[in-house]
Amino acid sequence: MTKNNKNNALLFGLSILLFVLGSCNNPNRTGIEFAPNMYNSRAYEAQTQWRSNSINPHGMNMREPVAGTVSRRKYNTDFMQDDSSMVHDLMMYDIPKDSIEMAGRLLTNPIPWSESVEEEGKVLYERNCQHCHGTGGAGDGKVAEYYKGVPNYSSDALKNIPGGHIYWVITNGKGRMWSHASQVLPEERWKIVHYVQRLQLGS
Amino acid sequence: MFKAISKQFLLLLFLTTSLSYSFAQDASADGDVATGEKLFKNNCAQCHATGDAVVVGPGLKGIEERRDYAWLKKWINNPAAVIASGDKYAVDLYEKYNKTQMTAFQSFGDPEIKSILAYVKSANEAAAAAPAGEVAGANDSGTQEAGGGKFFNIVMVSLLVIMVLVLFALIAVLGLLNKLSNKNADAGPEKSFVENLKNIFATAIGNKTIRNAIIWLFLLLGSKATFDGLYGIGVHQGYAPTQPIAFSHKLHAGEMEINCAYCHTGVYKGKQAGIPSSNICMNCHNTIKRESPEIQKIYTAIENDQPVEWVRVHNLPDLAYFNHSQHTNVAGLDCENCHGQINKMEVVEQRHSLTMGWCIDCHRQTDVNSKGNAYYDALLEAHNNVSGDPMKVEDIGGLECARCHY
Repeated sequence: MTKNNKNNALLFGLSILLFVLGSCNNPNRTGIEFAPNMYNSRAYEAQTQWRSNSINPHGMNMREPVAGTVSRRKYNTDFMQDDSSMVHDLMMYDIPKDSIEMAGRLLTNPIPWSESVEEEGKVLYERNCQHCHGTGGAGDGKVAEYYKGVPNYSSDALKNIPGGHIYWVITNGKGRMWSHASQVLPEERWKIVHYVQRLQLGS
Repeated sequence: MFKAISKQFLLLLFLTTSLSYSFAQDASADGDVATGEKLFKNNCAQCHATGDAVVVGPGLKGIEERRDYAWLKKWINNPAAVIASGDKYAVDLYEKYNKTQMTAFQSFGDPEIKSILAYVKSANEAAAAAPAGEVAGANDSGTQEAGGGKFFNIVMVSLLVIMVLVLFALIAVLGLLNKLSNKNADAGPEKSFVENLKNIFATAIGNKTIRNAIIWLFLLLGSKATFDGLYGIGVHQGYAPTQPIAFSHKLHAGEMEINCAYCHTGVYKGKQAGIPSSNICMNCHNTIKRESPEIQKIYTAIENDQPVEWVRVHNLPDLAYFNHSQHTNVAGLDCENCHGQINKMEVVEQRHSLTMGWCIDCHRQTDVNSKGNAYYDALLEAHNNVSGDPMKVEDIGGLECARCHY
């Protein structure tokens, strides 16, 4: 009888302990891990940092590129046309940062217009522009209420702006808008230009 | 003699002032308010308010008193030329407003400009006519809001008080009942409430059935918790770490309707969705809420060339390969499918388990998005030859071990 009681008490205590352990829920902890060497990469991985890196600055896996590195991406300006001929376009990189007029005059869209390209441009516009410039390009996006000064594409001053100008603005920014070159690839910018030109026509 | 001259002078003064007044009136008096309103909202409202408020450029209240019509026309048609000409007022204006140059409206002639001026004037007159009521209304709503919070507190406290009172009443009734039953059984010495409670517990524990029932209840609950805990090993569901900057997805992705891909630029292109670099934050926060202590943390990070150490929330184990672009770009899945309603989360939390069973469930149920994708043409043909059902991810090897584990 005493042995049974002892066992009972032991079981009772154990169950309470497990219950408490199981119910502790700290949002700052990932919970119990088993065999973490299967979970955490031994190799350095981007966007994953489970131990400090002793080689790189700030203990990060990511490194800044060596000074003077040229991003190859920015030279990716060959576009296939509908008749499968290639357009080799490097001209845009000769336009200086302060020459918006020149960009408008000299840059032409290397991607020929088609319905599907405009549709792609619309998707890219929705991802990158819409929160400020608004669904219809009227400068009435949700963020514009706070950022202020977002123009209407179909306003009298902007409705005749050429595509090269629009491309230059995405690349370098203009007025209050900052450069979006780090987020939007050159090819994507030209697709957005096609859609913005649709919006310039107004509703 | 002197009187006559002064009289003439007065007359002249009167004439000139009235003339100049009427001249100043001319510009806006000519214009059509309705046309002006349309033009203003389309072209000017993004940077100018009709009142005193500075939006990007100065507020336009009293603009006709500040500058004459000829200057305004020159400025609107080509502000760059006016600044370049060295006009002092124009240069000061340019310097005052952070060297942001106004857009040139070359197509605007006299009728357009006059209509806009007429609209600005009428908007100010309308605002002057009804200021008192509006201000009072605003105050009212303010006090009501504060009152609402207080009212809620009062309700909570009174509820608490009522509950405590009920507790006391119940204890009193229990004591009374005990007394009555004791009196009925044997008129022994009165026992205190605590002693009674002790007695009740003692009898309950002494009873074998009750004791066993309690032990079994805890055993069952305990074993359930144990199994749940074991299944939860390595599963980060519910993980919502505190981030170094109190960034709210609810505000940015929800209320501001900023697309996920604006900041997570890699999500349609690569394996990783990516964490935005500070320059993307600065696209908006170079202007918005700069003084907020949380935003200042980004400024400090940029100035010190220090990375912001965000805590990763969704993290698949190294033994499983996962690629964002395959799921977002090729399959066309929404972010919410796996991440839950991020646009309603103040602090991002891992909502789904992200276990292998969870992956496989989806691969079994989801049709392959083969529309407009020539890669799937041959697979689709082969599948349709042997089956009438739509092609699931499972059918093209979505359950193969080596698809994710290699």
